[in-house]
Amino acid sequence: MIKVSNVSHFYGDEKVLHDISVEIKEGEFVFLSGDSGSGKSTLLSILSTLLKPSSGELLVNSSSLNEIENLDKFRQENIGFVFQFHYLINYLSVYENIALACGNENKKDIKSLLEDLGILELSSRYPNEISGGQRQRVALARALINKPKIIFADEPTGSLDSKNSKIVYELLERAMKNGTTVVVASHDMQVKEHATQTLRMVDGKIQ
Amino acid sequence: MIALKALSKNPFKSTLIFSSITIAVMAIFLISSVSQGVIGMYSKMIKTDGDIIITQKGISDTFFSNVDISIMEKINSLKNVSSSYAMIVGASPVGHIPIAGIYGTTKNHLSHYKLSNGEYPKKGQVLLGKTIAKQIKSRTVKIGNKRFKISGTYSSDVGFEEGGVVMNIEDAGKLFSRSASFILVSVSSPNMTDEIVKEIALLNDDVEVKTTKSFIEEYNQFKIIENSSLVISALAFAMGLMGIASVMSMIVNSRKEEFGIMRALGKSRLFIIKNLFFETLIMSLSAYIFALILSLSVLASLPHIEMLQGYVNGSLSLTTALYVLASTIFMALLGSLIPAWIASKTDPILLINQGCS
Repeated sequence: MIKVSNVSHFYGDEKVLHDISVEIKEGEFVFLSGDSGSGKSTLLSILSTLLKPSSGELLVNSSSLNEIENLDKFRQENIGFVFQFHYLINYLSVYENIALACGNENKKDIKSLLEDLGILELSSRYPNEISGGQRQRVALARALINKPKIIFADEPTGSLDSKNSKIVYELLERAMKNGTTVVVASHDMQVKEHATQTLRMVDGKIQ
Repeated sequence: MIALKALSKNPFKSTLIFSSITIAVMAIFLISSVSQGVIGMYSKMIKTDGDIIITQKGISDTFFSNVDISIMEKINSLKNVSSSYAMIVGASPVGHIPIAGIYGTTKNHLSHYKLSNGEYPKKGQVLLGKTIAKQIKSRTVKIGNKRFKISGTYSSDVGFEEGGVVMNIEDAGKLFSRSASFILVSVSSPNMTDEIVKEIALLNDDVEVKTTKSFIEEYNQFKIIENSSLVISALAFAMGLMGIASVMSMIVNSRKEEFGIMRALGKSRLFIIKNLFFETLIMSLSAYIFALILSLSVLASLPHIEMLQGYVNGSLSLTTALYVLASTIFMALLGSLIPAWIASKTDPILLINQGCS
């Protein structure tokens, strides 16, 4: 589904990824583990098309990234993101944050998705009016609304307590069971319980 | 509409941008309006009461010009001349006021000053402008080394005249040691103006005769005021517009995280630019309208501020208002859209990280 070959990346003079080659197959739950600074977030950003690698190739369904005609549309239709700090837009309500991510055809599904995630009553509230756990569930709803083929989550439970972390992982696992590929970068070993493949990163390399 | 949401949900930030643009636009308006107003008042003073102006030859400033008043008799006898009057303009301490305009004029021009109370001045008397009258409460006033009786007060269409004193031309002549600063002539048939100019010029070798229109265009003091005001206005304009552009660019840079999130969610660069365009347009247009209303209020109140004695006046032309409108919107868009365009080309994750740092 997504494949990177000999990918390296630099931030200034610092090399943070060293010739990485990975393939993620459809329907997998991939756990990208490693300590802080090991390069897992950078690799996740490259895999999710949010960052162009300094060198190497990213193939999506056997097509190079440069061959994708409309990358924005591709992201909207195929990829969902969950970040550690939820990154909701503070001047939009819960409903509007999710609506921003989806096309008109999916707007009708927002309420049922919110209900499914147990946060329907929050739909008219703003991000600063809800708890951290609720925000992360909204972020998850935003990632799921377009029924993406793949979800990337970077430390999705980094700012949550264990109860909320469990809810998030269960929701991601449920998405996987519904046919969505899930890639989670985290140093939380709890993810391993849900993963079908674990990749451990150390100093910018996969061990 | 996201643009309106973004503005209304960040009231502090929106108020800050709104205030910055309003202040910048007001500075542009007030500086250029006051400059235009000064020139406008002088022009109005000369233009409204005559078609031809006679000054001393070789003296480009009416304050220093000295024309022999006896020439008026010959001028009045010319064909197609309907009337003429002479004036002495000067400046002197008036009572406790360190400096005020003194207008000495022939009797036939006194009615130019609208009597508010009392009567027009006779020999040894002065008529006080409405503004200066508020500061002089006595019945007599010392001007130069002579004391004058106050005969009444007047108002005028020319703002700064209300900060001055009117007296008959003989008294002013003694005060400033001259016959007349200039003579203004009205003609009965406007198409004969050039002909009459030539005829008057032949009457006396020591005078310079011009149409009031050409005099205003060539008058040295107007040129100095005009050029100075042009430089000051241009600087205010440039500073104001740079201020608007830099405020907008700072705001856009502070929203990189938001743009990064939008790009990560699959929103196009055009979507971001379009929303920012409307946000900037709403903000700059409303700030412009507010600044225009405030500026007009300030300009309207200027003639009533006693301290200014009516000398500072402003007039805002439609051309200036439209020019400032176009420039404000252009600079606001330039200041917001260029950084937004640059930001939108950056990888989404870098935008998010830059926004967080």
